[in-house]
Amino acid sequence: MNTAAVEVAASPSSVISAVAVSKSWGTHQVFSDLTAEVPRGVTGLLGSNGSGKTTFLGMLLGLHHPDGGELRILGEDPANAGPDLRQHIGYSPEHHDLPNDVAAQDLVRHIAQIHGLPRREATTRSSDALWLVGLGEERARPVGTMSTGQRQRVKLAQAIAHGPSIVLLDEPTDGLDPVQRDDMLALIRRIGTEFDIDVVLSSHLLEEVERIADNVVIVADGTVRASGPISDLRSGRGGVIVQLADRSADVAAALRSAGLVVDEQRDRLVVGTTEPAEELVDAVRDAVASVQAPLRRLYAVEQSLEELFLTEVYTP
Amino acid sequence: MTAPTPAPSSDAEIFDRGYRSYDGPRNGVGTGMFSVFLASVQRALGLRRKFRFKVVPLATIFIAYVPALVFMGVAVLLPSEFADEVVADYAGYFGLLSIAVILFTAFVVPEVLSTDRSSGLFGMYMASPLNRGHYLAAKFGSLVSLMFLVTLFPVLFLLVGYVVNDIGPDGFMNTMEVFGKIAVSGLLMSVYFALLGMAASTMTTRKGFASAGIVMLLIGSGVFSGVLVESGDAPEWVSLLGLASLPFDVITRIFDEPLDQIEGVGTLASVGAWAGVCAICAAIVAIGYKRLEVTK
Repeated sequence: MNTAAVEVAASPSSVISAVAVSKSWGTHQVFSDLTAEVPRGVTGLLGSNGSGKTTFLGMLLGLHHPDGGELRILGEDPANAGPDLRQHIGYSPEHHDLPNDVAAQDLVRHIAQIHGLPRREATTRSSDALWLVGLGEERARPVGTMSTGQRQRVKLAQAIAHGPSIVLLDEPTDGLDPVQRDDMLALIRRIGTEFDIDVVLSSHLLEEVERIADNVVIVADGTVRASGPISDLRSGRGGVIVQLADRSADVAAALRSAGLVVDEQRDRLVVGTTEPAEELVDAVRDAVASVQAPLRRLYAVEQSLEELFLTEVYTP
Repeated sequence: MTAPTPAPSSDAEIFDRGYRSYDGPRNGVGTGMFSVFLASVQRALGLRRKFRFKVVPLATIFIAYVPALVFMGVAVLLPSEFADEVVADYAGYFGLLSIAVILFTAFVVPEVLSTDRSSGLFGMYMASPLNRGHYLAAKFGSLVSLMFLVTLFPVLFLLVGYVVNDIGPDGFMNTMEVFGKIAVSGLLMSVYFALLGMAASTMTTRKGFASAGIVMLLIGSGVFSGVLVESGDAPEWVSLLGLASLPFDVITRIFDEPLDQIEGVGTLASVGAWAGVCAICAAIVAIGYKRLEVTK
């Protein structure tokens, strides 16, 4: 029996760390400089189709080796780590292909056993995991007779049945109808908050990541365009609003002369778009002081994740 | 008058299965490999699957054991001096198994190997503590064990039948010697056909293509080498290119049956050809899986 456990506590604030990771498939460079820290909790890995999300998950699992840089998951290098690390990682692949004629419970138990669980524990926990994902009554059914939604649940059950420290979910809502998607997202959120399992889910659907994730990593063009807690990224990235009692035009002119974009609306100025809020507030303070304008109100606008994504991915 | 309300049971409780994190001991890679081994054996034999998946393995196993039952019946019914002339010897019985072995190789090996890649299960294995070496070792072990069902065990069954019917080897030492020869022969044959089937299954994810390829390779190579030798233009060693008959030639040498051996070919050459085919097949499997990208 191997009781060695990977110490998540060794890096309590970060479960995944990537520094200047590069990866190419032949002549196609997927990542040129992937640098990100993924904290504990539920993290969304966002990127458009073909941006390398699945490749990144594959590298975290040790299936693909980075060409350069340093990658760590649970404090270990996945390319060189032994079975001790992978016993503590759950993985749900993107594809819906599973052995069609195998009963769901047999498949989940088998995957739990190869992750080191003794047979009795694997049997009990596979049954529990299938009940948890809502397939308790269907657990004896062959996977091939199940709908796409049920297969997604089987994949989730096998990812958590062996008691991992972290689960990597590749497009877990792909192929689900809106109701199934809501249920799946609620379940993933539960796993990340109630079960003490860190979750990384890849998706190109911003709305679902925004709904359940605490953190986000946005990848595009081979690099990480933004990463961190969603609340931090959203706040202060949508400009600031300035309301003045008088001399709005003078303040706007002063801000434009400082190189900022200013949208003059009926009773307010919208200043900046992507600049950090602190810089904008300082610039507005200076402009207001320079023209001696009477300031009524000044506050930062919170950017939606969609706006953030579009800004980070499509702004050169 | 109303019936008294029963008192609530103190044992009643709401049972929430919930989720428990697992902090208990975990088995090593060996147990994971054994789980793959068992799953492969179950899959190959159609266990825990619908009846139609059991037909081919059961039919081939049936084909392998029926002649032994017939020979035992002959041994029981006929006087021993006649029975000795009619029943097959051990090396000859290995030859009789060729159809069962070819069918078993063609239909069972791709089921065990190709299916994992087409169903995406291989990718899930590689995302587990197992690596490619562990996976292939477990698969090879399961296939050799499965092959024993149509190579080693039928001949051991025959030996037991002959011994019980008093036409087996004389004495304990002779019986053990025959047992040893059967065990070695069964192992050589099982390793050979398991590797050959694995090599063919490495090249495609389609079970049907792999099965057809194995049948064509085994039968086609025999026809090809036979035509060349029969035409008189090719040397005798070309017969070793008959991939289905090659291991049986090695077995005739283990049992020292000169009449059934390929003429003009030494034992070293025969065993060398067997080892060469095994090595080539093992190399195909190793290189194929080393290059295999896990894409799903």
